[in-house]
Amino acid sequence: MPDCDVLVVGAGPAGSIAAWEAKRAAPELDVVLLERDRVVGLPVRCAEGVGDAGLREFVDPDGAPWVARRITRIIFVAPDDTEVPVAEGRTVAWILDRTRFDAFLAAGAAAAGVEVRVATEAAGMERDPDGRWHVRVRGPGGNEETLCARLVIGADGVEAMVGRWAGLDTRVPARDMESCAQYVVQNVQFDPDAVYLQFGDRIAPGGYAWLFPKGVGIANVGLGIVALRADGRNAREYLDAWIARRYPGSATVGATVGGVIVNPTIKQTYGDGVLIAGDAAHMVNPLSGAGIVNAMKGGRLAGRAAAAAIRVGDTGARRLSAYHQAWMELLGDDHRTYYRIKQALDGLDDGFYNALARTVNGIPEAKRSLRKVFAHALVKHPQLIPVAARYFV
Amino acid sequence: MTLLIRLAKVGRMPHPRASDVASVDLLVCDRCGLCLPLCPPEAIHLALDELVIDRHACTGCRKCIAPCPVGALAMVPA
Repeated sequence: MPDCDVLVVGAGPAGSIAAWEAKRAAPELDVVLLERDRVVGLPVRCAEGVGDAGLREFVDPDGAPWVARRITRIIFVAPDDTEVPVAEGRTVAWILDRTRFDAFLAAGAAAAGVEVRVATEAAGMERDPDGRWHVRVRGPGGNEETLCARLVIGADGVEAMVGRWAGLDTRVPARDMESCAQYVVQNVQFDPDAVYLQFGDRIAPGGYAWLFPKGVGIANVGLGIVALRADGRNAREYLDAWIARRYPGSATVGATVGGVIVNPTIKQTYGDGVLIAGDAAHMVNPLSGAGIVNAMKGGRLAGRAAAAAIRVGDTGARRLSAYHQAWMELLGDDHRTYYRIKQALDGLDDGFYNALARTVNGIPEAKRSLRKVFAHALVKHPQLIPVAARYFV
Repeated sequence: MTLLIRLAKVGRMPHPRASDVASVDLLVCDRCGLCLPLCPPEAIHLALDELVIDRHACTGCRKCIAPCPVGALAMVPA
């Protein structure tokens, strides 16, 4: 039976960074990275937006071939279509080309010595008395084999099967699942340096709709809804309605759907010989739905924790609990706060957002930083006080 | 077990309960995996790029139905 030290399931940002970091921290280890799909980075189930500061912790986006667009403005759109540009006057975000970006990360891991296997799906795993995981995998053509690993990192996205097999609770309450649909749309007019975010109970109940430019005249246009708050339509039907109203005459050249888990980090991200990272561990920011950089940060912690555990010969849950603690200190505790803020914001209606948009548009655009917007909003709209209070509770 | 799931999937297995169970229309399903973590008894799986619902594990709770972004899931008589 082929052996490896670390087996990483899923070659998205969390998995590739985890494998890369494990190999970098302990080059003597055999690290294997599995990807179920035939191509790393496909299909793209993502709006592809990422914050500038977080991304730069890992890679340099300037001139990179995996970047689609640099973003310098955020335009919030109220339910009544009032646009509120927030000019940051600097690079705030990037729209990635996830197909290329994910491949770039996996290639980086491979160059560091990680064995990357595509078209290979993990199908189940059991732990032997010696504390090794026997992972059943199906390779190209359906060939089954068993890989024996001292430690398994589950970076398998919303499905989170590795966590399930390890006996961890990765389930999601329906109120914390954003059902998302997105089209790649052409022939639309928009500011190609801006991302657009529109809120509204009739547009995207429990979530928001977005336009993220991929170039001039081409963009990812999508939305996320919480089905429990919806009127019976599914996410794609909400998206069709939104595009028909806001971008008539556009051409849809791509379509995708997926789930974004806006639930705080799972209670336990580790087990005996197992670490869970990224979407699988609910590391998405519950307020914004952003997950790429969080996944990379979680993956980095997981890779390092895995390497250190194997080096000292102890992959038990007790030792690996330090990974969970490190994540909670880094971002997990903040996410709990964001989750409470999201819950408070859910109680506000369209009328509030329309009024808020007018308040903010009263601030000169040059002075409209996110901080200033928030301060003004708080003074003019006392409904926000309980929301702000959640930040400190 | 795999055989049981496969048989259940094509509907040839008798179901012991009278309540409805979730069923997927594979022509509509996009294999996004959103429904997997919503299922309390963990009755939904993705295998060989196909969504599989274990009719015997499904409790008929309907939690997976409305969140499907494309409406590929529906309740059917057990």
